[in-house]
Amino acid sequence: MYTRKNQRNLTSDQRTRFVKAVLEVKRLGRYDKYVSLHSRYFAADGESGLRVAHMAPTFFPWHRHFLIVFERELQLIDPGVSIPYWDWTRDSSASSKLWADDFMGGNGRSSDGQVMTGPFAYRNGGWPIVFGVTEERYLTRNLGRPDRPLKLPSAAELTGALAIATYDTAPWNSSPHTQGFRNRIEGWTVSDKAGGYLHNRVHQWVGGHMIGASSPNDPVFWLHHAFIDLIWVRWQRQHRTSRYLPDRPLGAKDPQHGRVISSNEPMPPFGVKPSAVFDHRHYYQYEEN
Amino acid sequence: MVTRRRVLRTGLTAAAAVSGTAAALSPMLAASDRNPAAATPGAVEAALGPPGEPPQDDEGSSAPLFDEVYRNRRIQGFASDAEAGLDVFVDGRPLQLMRRVDGSWISVANHFQPFLTPLATARGAVDAIGRADLSLTNAGHHH
Ligand SMILES: [Cu+2]
Repeated sequence: MYTRKNQRNLTSDQRTRFVKAVLEVKRLGRYDKYVSLHSRYFAADGESGLRVAHMAPTFFPWHRHFLIVFERELQLIDPGVSIPYWDWTRDSSASSKLWADDFMGGNGRSSDGQVMTGPFAYRNGGWPIVFGVTEERYLTRNLGRPDRPLKLPSAAELTGALAIATYDTAPWNSSPHTQGFRNRIEGWTVSDKAGGYLHNRVHQWVGGHMIGASSPNDPVFWLHHAFIDLIWVRWQRQHRTSRYLPDRPLGAKDPQHGRVISSNEPMPPFGVKPSAVFDHRHYYQYEEN
Repeated sequence: MVTRRRVLRTGLTAAAAVSGTAAALSPMLAASDRNPAAATPGAVEAALGPPGEPPQDDEGSSAPLFDEVYRNRRIQGFASDAEAGLDVFVDGRPLQLMRRVDGSWISVANHFQPFLTPLATARGAVDAIGRADLSLTNAGHHH
């Protein structure tokens, strides 16, 4: 059992150790498989086939397990490291210490989006992009998307989503007919202009690699998804009688049969059932402040 | 009810008109006009109706659905039997698109933002990648 902390409360030593462990996983050639795996398991709901990572109820458990696997890899390097979370309702500015030179590094420059500062800047040698959407070898960002400015989701928006007592509903996808907590948090339900997009909007606010298929190329991916994971924990706490849905395999006549994973069916590529990760306390706890 | 084919046709006409205009504009102006049609679910459904089979090009498979220069990048779309129903290219390199259940589209370059049409998706990809070349091998989708 270990503790995941709010990134804003990390000591300078903890910040440095996290960064060093991430860079070491990269140096050993073990980071980039997370990038390609996340991309390969992004299936869309207008097409055929199984969806696990996105546009599906397994959005939360799949990413929980994905983070646990990566976190174990970090802990092989430094057993004292865990993934911090980024509460973007609080640290919502591009001048947050999150983006300091001893941690995630800064924004991309305006000409080509290249991150020029911090441990993940290409020119500092430790962070070449291997699996990217483009051929560029450097990490990119575009914080706040200045040409069409975006704001990170507010605490009120998050509270509104957390109030939804039902985990997920048929047709279990990204359509506006899929009511429920999961689809609201994932962020497909409301338009950009109307101010929806909780999880999705955070990807867009960071910009650069975070908006594309290779989003884990930006290490802030893990901090964003650790907070998404904490949001699931908070929802479970707030709705004690609610549970993950669907809790049984969908029947052969269900249009989503074979496309959506219920509580006790294994999630590829891990072979882990959602139910195995319903209780995060088997693995870690959150320090919330 | 409006069929998808009709809509693509309409979209095509509009695209041709826009690309004619865009060609006359400087890249800076194109850049200032980059408000890609962010999809609102209701708008998509009104425009496209329920999702159905992928678009077909009934005038022969080689005619492009769109072909224009946007911000100095050539973007093209062709009907295909790929799962998404079409192949899209930026300067000749494939851009992988995926279709959402409401009829909107996302691409590898914009994984978290839906667009109403393949053309808007291609333009959105150019907005996202700037002058960079799409990777030929990396970050592919699971199909
Ligand atoms: Cu994400």
